[in-house]
Amino acid sequence: MANKESASSKTAHRFQRRGFSYERLIKYFFASNAGLTIVILVLIIVFLLKEGLGFFPGYRRELETYRIAGLEFVDISRKNLTSHEQLTSLLNRAYFAEINGKAMREMRRFQEASALFNAYSDQTGPTRDLILNNPQSDAGGNSGMLAVLRENYEKQKQKALGLLPATPHLTTDERNQLVSSLRARAPETTEDPPLVVSLTENYTAAQAKFSEPLKDFRATIDSFGAAGSDLGTVITEMTESVTATKEKLQSADIIAKDRETLLAAANNAKNPAERERLLVDANAAIAEKPDVEGPMQLLMNRREDCIRLHQQLEKSVGEILPAIPQSLSQPEANRILRAAHKSWPVFIADLKAAPEKIKIWNHTDPVPLSDAITSFFTGKDWVTGGEWQDFYGILPLAIGSLMIAVVALVIAIPVGIGSAIYVNQFAGNREQNIVKPVIEFIQAIPSVVLGFLGILVFGTILREISVMDSFQWVPGFPIEERLNIFTAGCLLALMSIPTIFSLAEDALNNVPSAYAEASEALGASRVQTTFRVMIPAAFSGILAAVLLGLGRVIGETMVVLLVAGNRIKIPDFTAGIGSFFQPAHTLTGIIAQELGEVPLGSVHYRALFIVGIVLFVVVLGINASAHHFVNRVRK
Amino acid sequence: MVNPVQDTAIHIDNVCFAYSGKQALHDVSLEIPSHKITAFIGPSGCGKSTLLRCINRINDRIAGARITSGTVRIHEIDIYRKDIDIQELRRRVGMVFQKYNPFAKSIYDNVVFGLKIAGMTKRSELDAAAEAALTGAALWDEVKDRLHSSALGLSGGQQQRLCIARAIANEPDILLMDEPCAALDPLATLKIEELMLELKKKFTIVIVTHNMAQASRCSDRTAFMYLGKLIEYGDTLQIFRNPSDKQTEAYISGAFG
Repeated sequence: MANKESASSKTAHRFQRRGFSYERLIKYFFASNAGLTIVILVLIIVFLLKEGLGFFPGYRRELETYRIAGLEFVDISRKNLTSHEQLTSLLNRAYFAEINGKAMREMRRFQEASALFNAYSDQTGPTRDLILNNPQSDAGGNSGMLAVLRENYEKQKQKALGLLPATPHLTTDERNQLVSSLRARAPETTEDPPLVVSLTENYTAAQAKFSEPLKDFRATIDSFGAAGSDLGTVITEMTESVTATKEKLQSADIIAKDRETLLAAANNAKNPAERERLLVDANAAIAEKPDVEGPMQLLMNRREDCIRLHQQLEKSVGEILPAIPQSLSQPEANRILRAAHKSWPVFIADLKAAPEKIKIWNHTDPVPLSDAITSFFTGKDWVTGGEWQDFYGILPLAIGSLMIAVVALVIAIPVGIGSAIYVNQFAGNREQNIVKPVIEFIQAIPSVVLGFLGILVFGTILREISVMDSFQWVPGFPIEERLNIFTAGCLLALMSIPTIFSLAEDALNNVPSAYAEASEALGASRVQTTFRVMIPAAFSGILAAVLLGLGRVIGETMVVLLVAGNRIKIPDFTAGIGSFFQPAHTLTGIIAQELGEVPLGSVHYRALFIVGIVLFVVVLGINASAHHFVNRVRK
Repeated sequence: MVNPVQDTAIHIDNVCFAYSGKQALHDVSLEIPSHKITAFIGPSGCGKSTLLRCINRINDRIAGARITSGTVRIHEIDIYRKDIDIQELRRRVGMVFQKYNPFAKSIYDNVVFGLKIAGMTKRSELDAAAEAALTGAALWDEVKDRLHSSALGLSGGQQQRLCIARAIANEPDILLMDEPCAALDPLATLKIEELMLELKKKFTIVIVTHNMAQASRCSDRTAFMYLGKLIEYGDTLQIFRNPSDKQTEAYISGAFG
């Protein structure tokens, strides 16, 4: 009562604020909006962590199964067998590159003539088949349908003859001869045109001629390839048994999980009958413990075999190695051979180390959680949904993202900063009014649409240029894959140029005009002023622009998904610059591609969340340092 | 009543000047003697800064700003001729601005900036020139131990003297000062004024100032401008004691401005 009185006495004064004013309402409205963004950010972090952190225990369990079932044991040998196969294939490639390099002229002529003939056959083929399959042809009749088809065949032939590909390595006479033989060609003819036949023979003869001096090399390669066959057989046998064990373990895991779910449901059931039923089900779902020891014993019996075969392989490899030539005459063959020689010591070291590894391997060794963590952050394989074993190693994705970012920045930094400097320092008003909106407009193009440009221009056309003879001096050419790191990098450069441009231009704009005035009053030209005063003064801001551009590049998803080629493999760095023309997958791309397809709550699903967390942290770090530089400018 | 000047550094003849069509100077003519301090005074917007900035053509930086008629000659050379090397002109005609504006570089780098721009690369020559310029600007003793620390760490007065050192490092003939003490406290102002009196032995100084007392203390000759026109020009003593024009009298007595 007294309170109420004092409250009413308070309201007595003249300036008392009454009720809930609009001012406050509006203020709270905006405050709630601002607060909401913070809440959302916190929720994002919480959910990422909640979903993601379960990954490491789950992955640890998978790695444990991998060990208990013996897959890990088989992989010790299999890894060496794979490198052996890769080396064999490298040597084979070098061998054929050497022959084809020497028989280059014959090969080209053969290829061009065949391509010309194929273009003709592709065009006329369907009509030709119709004529040959027409029942009237057998009867020798020439009426109705068949006449129409024959007429059509002539039409197709004319069309084909008008669209023949170029044949730079054939003489004009040869081409004319080929074309006229095609012109005279009847639909019933089955043999190839004489020129194609003779060129094929020439090519085969050239191959035979050039392979003659390489006979020893061929034999060496064959014996090298054969050296691994025994190990291969043993591995295949072991593979079958361990896969069976793994399946048993996995189904036991699944049943155990089902049981847990049923028990939890029973605990929560309200109806006693329902609970009873669930409990019965749960008790029925007790998995019998799979027999691990039995198959493991069998596997361990192979231990000696594996060791022996490794030692044998090492010995024969050591004998074969000196017989392999150090260099070949063709540059391409030489490059491949060098790659083989480079990987040689690693292979031999692996072979030497293998017996010891096989000896000490033990399926009961515990798999600590730290193994799962290191395996994730330093793993070179991202293999999912495979029959053998899933691996979640972030390296191929991180390297893909990094290389794409490098390409993008190498292009975007000079272009973005260069145009910012030009527009800010040298352009007249009219140029500014054209250049600035155009560059900023690029930012507004949806990235999916840019993907078209990437596939068409940077992908197809670049690849076509790269196979031209006159461009073979460019390092990394010819490009094998149409969609690759470089393609994606080019597009991302295009997307980050506006960011870098706008921010760098702002940074230059923020340099006090007194600096430029002072510099010019001291006798500096415009260019000197720009480079000695303006750019150093705007340096922090320009650096921030580059960092924010990098943030954009790392975080971009759609373009890389469309044009990076999506091959989950660490690029082959022996190719030098050429490694930038290989396909890759990225941190962002993998999430976009796989998240929709993985079972909710699976280890794979959680792995994608961890990738998301890594991305989040990286981009956060980049933006935070950009912020730091921007603030330094303000001070 | 303009006394005939024996040794004239700058001839300004019938100069009209416009910013994008807006007339800022109307038919201004005066002769500035060498090795003297000449002050331009007048209320804001009277065109005194514009006139000063015509002398080193720094107005060229502003789009649309140009001299519409008349000539400016320095040592008898028309500096608006087509074949003038503007960079060389600005090295010969140094300038100090109203708001001290050293670069965000070290003290040393500020002083030798103009010399490096001009192509001087020898460390020993640069060192000697820097010391000479800083000594000339009465700053050497204060900064000689921290030549390579940032110029922005100096006090306002020191920064302005650094700007003067930077300008005189180029060894110009003429030094233009656009209200050099406007952003400084009285003590720093006093130092700059003392410095100016020292500097006029070597340079012809033209100064724009709002400070009547400063003009009367330091300058040898004074020009009073109003609304883009030169109203009166003569010896400082005569202008301040016995102005011949009514507007001049009203301005220096504080009736307006």
